[in-house]
Amino acid sequence: MKIARTLFIAMLLVAMAPMASAQTADEIIDTYFENTGGKANWEKIKSIKSTGKASFGPQEFPFTQYMMEDGRMAVTISLQGQELTPQAFDGENMWGTNFQSMQAEAQDSETSENYKKNEAKDMPDVFLNYKDKGYTIEKMDDDTIEGTEVFKIKLTKNPIMVDGKEEESVSIYYFDKENFVPIASETTINAGPQKGMTTQTVFSEYLEAGDVYMPFNITQKFNGQVGQSITIENIEINPDIDESIFEMPEKN
Amino acid sequence: MKKLVLTFLALALIPLSQISAQEEISLQGKELFGGMQARHIGPALMSGRINDLETHPTNTRIFYAGSAGGGVWKTNDGGATFSPIFDDHVQSIGVVTLDPKDPDKTIWVGTGETWTRNSVSVGDGLYKSTDGGSNWKEIPGFENSERIASIVINPNNTDVVYVGVLGALWGDSEDRGVYKSTDGGTTWKKVLYIGPSTGAGDVIMDPKNPNVLYASMWQFRRTGWGFNSGGENSGLYKSTDGGATWNKIHNGFPEGKLGRIAVAVAPSDGNILYAVLETEDKSKNGLWKSSDAGKSWEHLNNDFGLTVRPFYFSRITVDPRDPDVVVKGGLTGSISRDGGKTFKPLGNMHSDIHDIVFHINDSDIIYSGTDGGVYRSWNGGTTFEIVEDLPLSQFYHISVDDAEPYNVYGGLQDNGSWYGPSSSPGGVNARDWNSVGAGDGFRVLKHPTKNIIYSEMQGADNVWRYDVERNKTKTIQPLPQKGDAELRFNWNAPMAVSAHVPDRFYMGSQFLHKSDDMGDTWTIISPDLTTNDPAKQDQSKSGGLSVDNSGAENHTTIFTIAESPLDANIVWVGTDDGNVQVTTDGGKNWNNVTANLTGIPKNTWVYHIEASVHGKGTAYAVFDGHTAGDMKQYAMKTTDYGKTWTSIISDDIQQNAFVRNIQEDYENEDLLFLGTEMGLYVTIDGGSNWSKFTNNMPSVAVHFIDLQKQTNDLVMGTHGRGVIIIDDISPLRELNQEVLAKDVHFFNTEAFTMSEESGFSGSFGGETQFVGQNKPTSARIAYYLKKRHTFGKMSMEIQDMDGNKVATLVPEKSKGINIVNWDFNMKAPKMAEAKTISFGGFTSPRVPAGKYKVILTKGKDTYEHTLDLNYDKTALTTLAERKKQEEMTKTMFTMVEDLAYLVYEIGQMQEKANEVMENDPKGKKVAEKYYNALEALRKDLVITTGDNYVASAEPELRERMGELYANIASSYDRVSGAQMQNYEVINTEFSEAKQRYANIQKKEGEKFMKYLEKNDMEAPKVDSKADFLDAK
Repeated sequence: MKIARTLFIAMLLVAMAPMASAQTADEIIDTYFENTGGKANWEKIKSIKSTGKASFGPQEFPFTQYMMEDGRMAVTISLQGQELTPQAFDGENMWGTNFQSMQAEAQDSETSENYKKNEAKDMPDVFLNYKDKGYTIEKMDDDTIEGTEVFKIKLTKNPIMVDGKEEESVSIYYFDKENFVPIASETTINAGPQKGMTTQTVFSEYLEAGDVYMPFNITQKFNGQVGQSITIENIEINPDIDESIFEMPEKN
Repeated sequence: MKKLVLTFLALALIPLSQISAQEEISLQGKELFGGMQARHIGPALMSGRINDLETHPTNTRIFYAGSAGGGVWKTNDGGATFSPIFDDHVQSIGVVTLDPKDPDKTIWVGTGETWTRNSVSVGDGLYKSTDGGSNWKEIPGFENSERIASIVINPNNTDVVYVGVLGALWGDSEDRGVYKSTDGGTTWKKVLYIGPSTGAGDVIMDPKNPNVLYASMWQFRRTGWGFNSGGENSGLYKSTDGGATWNKIHNGFPEGKLGRIAVAVAPSDGNILYAVLETEDKSKNGLWKSSDAGKSWEHLNNDFGLTVRPFYFSRITVDPRDPDVVVKGGLTGSISRDGGKTFKPLGNMHSDIHDIVFHINDSDIIYSGTDGGVYRSWNGGTTFEIVEDLPLSQFYHISVDDAEPYNVYGGLQDNGSWYGPSSSPGGVNARDWNSVGAGDGFRVLKHPTKNIIYSEMQGADNVWRYDVERNKTKTIQPLPQKGDAELRFNWNAPMAVSAHVPDRFYMGSQFLHKSDDMGDTWTIISPDLTTNDPAKQDQSKSGGLSVDNSGAENHTTIFTIAESPLDANIVWVGTDDGNVQVTTDGGKNWNNVTANLTGIPKNTWVYHIEASVHGKGTAYAVFDGHTAGDMKQYAMKTTDYGKTWTSIISDDIQQNAFVRNIQEDYENEDLLFLGTEMGLYVTIDGGSNWSKFTNNMPSVAVHFIDLQKQTNDLVMGTHGRGVIIIDDISPLRELNQEVLAKDVHFFNTEAFTMSEESGFSGSFGGETQFVGQNKPTSARIAYYLKKRHTFGKMSMEIQDMDGNKVATLVPEKSKGINIVNWDFNMKAPKMAEAKTISFGGFTSPRVPAGKYKVILTKGKDTYEHTLDLNYDKTALTTLAERKKQEEMTKTMFTMVEDLAYLVYEIGQMQEKANEVMENDPKGKKVAEKYYNALEALRKDLVITTGDNYVASAEPELRERMGELYANIASSYDRVSGAQMQNYEVINTEFSEAKQRYANIQKKEGEKFMKYLEKNDMEAPKVDSKADFLDAK
């Protein structure tokens, strides 16, 4: 048995060596899904409930995130006895709790439409069946990020509207060459006062979530400085979710 | 399946780590620096030189600025704010052009500034992005182009591209002229070439017929000591067959040599051309116009604004809608509304206007690129406002002091001398910078002990001694004395203060001047230390067709002075004509060691000498040959006073990255920092290997580096991106094979001071103004990871020395160096639940000074490191008062959480009572009584109505308690009498509330519990306080 296993490893290593030098974008994505549980297991995911802590500098908030295959999503935080929903999508509209009035308010329709075109399709993973979503990928020159040699994949999503004008939606994903999982992504902010600036999202602490591996730490950085860091404590795959959580409550 | 995946991943990694453990670990660049990041502090208030502006053909929100030394910037909001899009590449930009058919995605950038002043940088080719500037590809074939002036694209077939290469400034080159591609840049053909000293300036296309092209060709040359614009080869050419053939169109132009020519075609009428000429006949200089597409020319205007400094201002722009509205770059810029017959100056803005563009739909809106950034006009050019978001300042030199936070001093191209703080409340703002010199600024030095600043303007025309406190200035430059030769000062004249004699101040002309009274009296302490070559000393004729004797070309001068930090008698001098000289007896005798510099071409500019702290005879010298057309890297080290030298350059420094500065580390002799024209390089092995530092550090020219002694911050004066700082480089000192082989290594840190500054910042203007990043005031935990942590848990917490958890941190997980900041805070208290938010609950208590453990847990392994924290020396309190403040903070923290628990208990009781009220009519009365009693109490404890803004309810006990807690916890002063009195009120109120609760429990509560018991109903479930506090 021991011999067989050693052989198996040796074969794997041999098989891997040439792969690393000439990979197409699709091969990288395929290997990513293979290494994280297999595409079939990813495709079985219909809903996700994650709980953890989000920190913004010294402030830390426990949160729960609910995501459905059809794109519906809600993030709730509990603060001094108040349940707030900073962000949710009911299938048509993005909405969230106004912190001053503590009432739910719809986001502008452009934001909702943009979400519907792209992010609503990204459960459980942005790259899963990306072609069906209308996305394209392209391999760029290799790079080093987080001190680590990476494959660089450019992901172009469906065009979005920004203040009334159509714009491209592009992100760069960096896949660790050793294990083919994304360890960072970069996006140019395309709306709001920080438009034009690049934000980096760093993925780490890949752990088992059901039958697949997901990053349990997601940290957002601007110019290398940490903005927000999310540490997930638990991920439930296909849990029962009270779907009323996605609906925008009436103002009272 | 899961197990298999894990096994696969784990095993695949093992052989790699085994291999690396046996071999020497050599980490390069990002692998080494990991999470160490540079930060930018500007300034942006005076911005920097702009070379080219480019509007989007259809989107009025977007335009681009190509800067002289700070890369390419894009605005998405009509010029209110900008973002850099070209940081990975050379920052000297010649031209930015958008593809007319695909302007959102396809951007071309020709590098190398084209306004060829003495201090101009170099480019390294042609770049193209097809994704709106996120990624760039270098187009092969233009590597040696040095400066690209024009890119024009056929709007009907955007695969057809013409590139005008101005080319090398300091030498002959065949990489010049007009190039054409018909396949979108894959292959190129040189379609117009005149000779090795004549390059292409403006290449333009007829607005209707893309086969009609015009090209201005310019014969020009610069040396370290002169400039020559013009020659027989300059000319204006036209092609009507897409560049296949070219003909001179000089009908009407004067005979003889021509200089730089600007040319523009009216976008609304292709027959109307404007050209600005530099000729041998002064009366024929200036504006020429053709109304027949170049067949004939008429001379219209030779006013100052049209003829001034052609090498610097040859830009003419025609209003896209009106062929009679013409704008010319210049000292102030000029605008004509009568087809070029007469001009008036443009409105006030920074002088030296290099490019002007009109808004695509509205000619009232004009954007202007100057020596001081981008300006916007909304009224056709009469008033201009500056873009405040472009940190393009071009430092020649910087220095630092030892204040806390330290200040950075430096002088800027055409923008005076300044100092500003390295950190400031709310970030380093425009208003934080102080002007300390006029004209062009160069070296700015702080007196070592007094609040005095030395600064200068070009050629030491003025050297100022500025008394900061009294706001008094005195000019102190060395003046010729009886018997002295005429003094020759460099444009960027060297100054130095002594580390040994505080009032001592040095300046260099061709002699070394020393003053021991802060510049009041001067003594020459050397012979002429230069080559004194008369062939390089006549600048009166410099300029070529237009004399340009600004002083910028003064040569055979001293350029760098370095007094040994170990011995005041050892002084090194380097000259712009290649001499390195040293004295070991305070200037009595000088030793010219130039001949010992093996491998350095003769007369190569000695750009900087660094006298070492590691040995009296040790020094570093860097040499810059670019003004002789030599872009190679030269850095030498001596340990024997210059008798022998060793090159410390390795071949991992990129081509063209000629060296301007070197900085040694004060502790580790093998740690060196190299300022090059293409960015910062670092070696940890004395120069055997160099790594480029690219973490938030653009490929910008680094003109000067200083290492601030108290903080170990590396401070860089860049020529195009202002001041850039890498905080605390001390981790680099520890890197060696032993450390690199460890899985985890915590770097030593000195004790941290818990800063107690708590002033206001006022963020007004920050929406559109550049604000520099601050240095974190937190504890900086630095560690090395041999490998990036991607799979499995990794956590970090702070514990006191007894192992109690104090704070949780999010660890960085990069391979290489990682930095995590801890703000000295513990967890915030858990607040009682209510209808609204009590903001006091966001305040975390600070830890007391002392020792703390950092515990890093990575999988099953834990790693430990100890931190020392000190109180701020500027504290307002005595130690006893502080201990009282800490104790009161703790008391209030506990009280806040006690109240939270009390409200929780009440809530649990109410929940049970409610359950009975709803489900058990028999028990309703007793339950209701109990519920109502509790509710009356709860309403006095916490807010139960309203919102977080103006519909808020009156504060209840929770809010008042929370506020007192926050005030005490966040105060850096002793607990005040008022606070103690308020504490008594709140403590009493809380005691009363607890008593009320006890009374309710005794009366209504006991009845309710008895009822439950009697009816076999479960008692209310109440967690222990510890469990309650642990729960989310």
